[in-house]
Amino acid sequence: MASIDIQDIRKSFGAFSVLHGVDLTIRDGEFIVLVGPSGCGKSTLLRMIAGLEDVTSGDIRIDGKRVNDLAPKDRDIAMVFQSYALYPHMSVADNMSYSLKLRRTAKEKIASAVGGAAAKLGLDPLLERRPRALSGGQRQRVAMGRAIVRQPKAFLFDEPLSNLDARLREQMRAEIKKLHGDLHATSIYVTHDQIEAMTLADRIVAMHAGVVQQVGTPLDLYDRPANLFVAGFIGSPGMNFFEGRYLVSGDHADLRLANGVTLPVPRRAGIESGATATLGIRPEHVVLDAHGALEAKVDLIEPTGFGIIMHVSIHDVPMKIFTLDRAMLDPGPAVRVDLPQERLHLFGTQGQRVE
Amino acid sequence: MTLAAHPHAVRPLRKRIADASEPYLYSAPALILIIAVMLVPLVLGISYAFRDIQLLNPLSGGFIGLDHFRALSEDQAFFRALRNTLWWTGASVFLQFLFGLILALLLDKPFAGRGLAQALVFLPWAVPSFLAGLNWAWLFNPVIGPLPHWMHALGILDAPNNILSDPHLAMWGPIVANVWWGIPFFAITLLAALQAIPRDLYEAASIDGAGPVQRFLSITLPFLAPTIAITILLRTVWISNFADLIVVMTNGGPADRTQIVASYIFTQAFRRLDFGYASAIALVLLVLLLAYSMLIVLLRQTLLNKG
Ligand SMILES: Nc1ncnc2c1ncn2[C@@H]1O[C@H](COP(=O)(O)OP(=O)(O)OP(=O)(O)O)[C@@H](O)[C@H]1O
Ligand SMILES: [Mg+2]
Repeated sequence: MASIDIQDIRKSFGAFSVLHGVDLTIRDGEFIVLVGPSGCGKSTLLRMIAGLEDVTSGDIRIDGKRVNDLAPKDRDIAMVFQSYALYPHMSVADNMSYSLKLRRTAKEKIASAVGGAAAKLGLDPLLERRPRALSGGQRQRVAMGRAIVRQPKAFLFDEPLSNLDARLREQMRAEIKKLHGDLHATSIYVTHDQIEAMTLADRIVAMHAGVVQQVGTPLDLYDRPANLFVAGFIGSPGMNFFEGRYLVSGDHADLRLANGVTLPVPRRAGIESGATATLGIRPEHVVLDAHGALEAKVDLIEPTGFGIIMHVSIHDVPMKIFTLDRAMLDPGPAVRVDLPQERLHLFGTQGQRVE
Repeated sequence: MTLAAHPHAVRPLRKRIADASEPYLYSAPALILIIAVMLVPLVLGISYAFRDIQLLNPLSGGFIGLDHFRALSEDQAFFRALRNTLWWTGASVFLQFLFGLILALLLDKPFAGRGLAQALVFLPWAVPSFLAGLNWAWLFNPVIGPLPHWMHALGILDAPNNILSDPHLAMWGPIVANVWWGIPFFAITLLAALQAIPRDLYEAASIDGAGPVQRFLSITLPFLAPTIAITILLRTVWISNFADLIVVMTNGGPADRTQIVASYIFTQAFRRLDFGYASAIALVLLVLLLAYSMLIVLLRQTLLNKG
């Protein structure tokens, strides 16, 4: 197990720059989840840590040792690929023991390591099979098994569950969490899936266009998103935004929208009166109240089974509401809502969070 | 008893025959064509082996049983040709494969101008074999070709002589020409097979701790094995039958040192005009190649079943 220290990492493919100076310190045993939209450089960062891509500039240290110029095999890390990348001509047991054989580990040790990993992952009955005779979920397990037999310093996962169906993904997610609880291995996990990110991570790293936007615990990112990007990216359905001008009058403040409507907002020290600002509120935090201050025209109702997503508009500004109230399946043409002050997020002109 | 008296008993029989022959009638045109095109020449050719057919002797043509084979079993020139064939085929296939594989591995790596290089590699394949043979014969000729002088300068040859006229070295001439000519076949087929190997397997292996050699042995080779088996089979059969270069460059000489079975057949048929004897030799070669092909196919099957 080891810490990983990334300092000002940059990466360009020819003239095309993908990562623009990423700094990240990962503590020993920590589970880090990298999230971000497609093409933002998550896989590239992961592959640079693994040694599969050259580092354009900056330093990567594993356990304090600079590894920029080390070959992947000398970094002592394991990686689980989205495609699993199992060796098709080897049995499950050989797939799992390949790395140990290359390291000339004693036969008995290999057998016990493979046996242990197989038992952990429920692969015992499959050890003699070839990968092509396995289901997607079983292949995924073999890929995990191949990573854990070796007890590497760190695990890297690149969207390991994205080829599985929803049910299986849920199950494997729980298993990965359990596995991490057992092994306490330093892990970096790339995913598109919000729930995976929220449930697995000790800390989430949100990336956008090759720049780290925020690093923090899942609840940090949910409760106090550092900027508009993170606010919009974390949470489903996504946060509602209202753009306007932040105006202070006396001891209270308002956001004046382009169409002239004003919404009351809490006073914040970090922003000047008159500056353009964006107000955010999560759909699940909008309160439906017959005596609410705002009228919302109902455009569309989406029942999800668990709850209801209501598409409404307030003075022609679209907004989503998430509610568990079944009565809202048939709310009529309009509802009244409140935007509780303590649930409002305010972002300044540059999209940064203001307190 | 007339047919009309038992219409019910007869019609089913006729119908049964019609039903049974229906599939054969449908496939007959194709089958007849295949038999006419493939089997008739083969059977005719085989039948020559058992007949006395000499073009200059109008009285020949009679059936003589196994006489040709008896003569063949005592024909030292034939056994020398058989040994030469082994040598010619083995060395050519091995070297073509080796260089083809190396070339394919090089072309598999990205580098500037790879597209052009891939196109150039194909070039020898497009050269007619007779032209290739003439070309190499000239290259080995000390009067007009540079090769003897270079080899002399490098100390490979004692004197800048034509290796094609040296009984101990002559076979190397056609082999070199053949290797040059046949490398593209291996390079292109192996390159196609190489490019079908998923890249992430190499990445997974390098993370698992495999160096370049181990990656080659545990990923590249197993993936290439079926292609290697089938291309080597094809090339072996092809090269052992391939007398063009030898006929052009050495014509079997000096002193029959480069005579292979295929060129020996050519010599028997078109120099000595003994078609019967030539057919007998061809039949022996056919049987040997069939046996070899069976062996390789079986080998490939067991490999695939294991895999
Ligand atoms: N070998 C390469 N050559 C050129 N550009 C590349 C190469 N690999 C990746 N890129 C570019 O780098 C950017 C980041 O790619 P990367 O694979 O890291 O994205 P990602 O965040 O993993 O996306 P996804 O979530 O879709 O997997 C993309 O714009 C991609 O086109
Ligand atoms: Mg990716």
